[in-house]
Amino acid sequence: MKISRKAQAGTMQSSDLMVFLEPAETLSISIESTVLKQFGALIRAKVEEVLTRNGVDSGEVRITDRGALDYAIEARLETALERATEE
Amino acid sequence: MVTSLLSTDDLRQACDLIDASGLTFEPPFDDLVGVYQSGRLVAVGAREGHILKMLAVAPEAQGGTLLDEVVTVLVGRGYQEGLDSFFIFTSPSQVTSFEALNFHLLVASGKTALLEYGEGLKRYLNRHRRQVAPGPNGAIVANCNPFTLGHRFLIERAARQVERLYLFVVREELSLFPFEYRYKMVREGTSDLANVTLLDTSSYAVSSVTFPTYFLKDGDPGGALQMELDLMLFANHIAPFFNITRRFIGSEPLSPTTAGYNAAMHRILPTLGIEVTELERAEADGGPISASRVRKLLSGSEPGELARLVPETTLNFLLSREGRRIWDPKGEAA
Repeated sequence: MKISRKAQAGTMQSSDLMVFLEPAETLSISIESTVLKQFGALIRAKVEEVLTRNGVDSGEVRITDRGALDYAIEARLETALERATEE
Repeated sequence: MVTSLLSTDDLRQACDLIDASGLTFEPPFDDLVGVYQSGRLVAVGAREGHILKMLAVAPEAQGGTLLDEVVTVLVGRGYQEGLDSFFIFTSPSQVTSFEALNFHLLVASGKTALLEYGEGLKRYLNRHRRQVAPGPNGAIVANCNPFTLGHRFLIERAARQVERLYLFVVREELSLFPFEYRYKMVREGTSDLANVTLLDTSSYAVSSVTFPTYFLKDGDPGGALQMELDLMLFANHIAPFFNITRRFIGSEPLSPTTAGYNAAMHRILPTLGIEVTELERAEADGGPISASRVRKLLSGSEPGELARLVPETTLNFLLSREGRRIWDPKGEAA
C-alpha cells in the first residue's frame, strides 16, 4: 500500500484519535497524545504494526490521540490508509 | 451532528450564541459549523485560514463533547484544504481545555493565549535544523514588498555585527508582491553577503496569526497585545533555536504600525534576552527609502526614480514582464 494522497480519519473526542496521512519520500511517524508519557511507546508500536501489515514504507503519519484503545487506533489508521490509497 | 451553518437563520443563531458567550461575531471565515439540538443551535465554531475562532457552546450543553466535535470538523476540513496546523486564541483560563484536545500552548500573555494544533512550529524548526549556526547570531524580519536599497543597507550593516544574520522574509500573502517574488528579490539582492541566511517566517512571526494588525495598516489599539505575543513567540521559540541574540530594525519615521512594532520590540525583547539594535534608514533624494515609497512610485508616473531606491536586482525584476504583471496588471505604464 502506498500513501498517494492526503487523508484523515478519526475525531478529537476523548478515547479517540485523529490520523493524518500525507505522501512523502520516507516514512515518518509523529505522535501527540494526552497520555504520551504512559502509553506513547505502545501507541507507536501499534501504529508501526498496522503500517507494516499494510506494507506502507513511506509517508508522513501524524497521530493526535486522546487515550484511544488499541482497536480504535487500528480502525482509524486502517480507514485513513484506505482513504489515502483510494483511486 | 455537526453541520455547516449557511442559512440566514443559522447565521442569526450563531451570532446570538457567540454574543451570549462573551465573544464577538467576526467575519470573515472560510468555514462556519455548529450543532443543533431540538431546533436550537448549541455549539458553534469557525475557521479563517488556519485560525479557529468564535468557538462557543451554550451553557446548558457544556460538559459534553460538543466542542470536540466542532473542532474535529473544522480541523478535518481544513486539513483537506491543505492546512496542517491550526491556531486558537483564547483566554488563559481556557488553555487546559484545549490542551486536552492536543493543542499546545505557544505563548500566553496577560489576557490572551495562543495555542497550536499539529506541531507546526516544531516541524518548521526541524526543517531548518541544518541552517543553525553556533552564533551569536542576529535576525531581521522583513516583508520586502519589494526589496529596496533600504533593506539592503540595513542587512549589510547588521551582517557585519554578527556571526550569522538570519533574514526572515514574511511568508504571509497580504502584500502587493507575492511571497515567491519577494523571496526571490531578497535572495538575488543579498547573494553576495556570505553570512546572511534567508528563511521564511511561516506563521510564526509577523503573520496574520501572530500579528494580524500589521496588515491592517492603521494599527488598532488592540494591536499592542498581538505584538507582544508575536515578540514572545520569537524570543521564546525561534531565537533560542537559531542562537539569535540580537534583532535589527530600521528606524520608522513613516508608518505608525511599524513604529509601534519597533517600540514594542524595544520594550519587550530586552526583557527576554534579545538585544534590539535600531539602525537609521538609508535615505535617497532627501527622504528615507521605504518599500511603500517604491510602491507609490510604481503607481505613479516616475519609474525613472526607482533606480535610486532599489538595487539593480530588484529593478530588473520590477521591469521584467513577470514583475510588471504584478504592479501594472493592466499594462498602463509606458
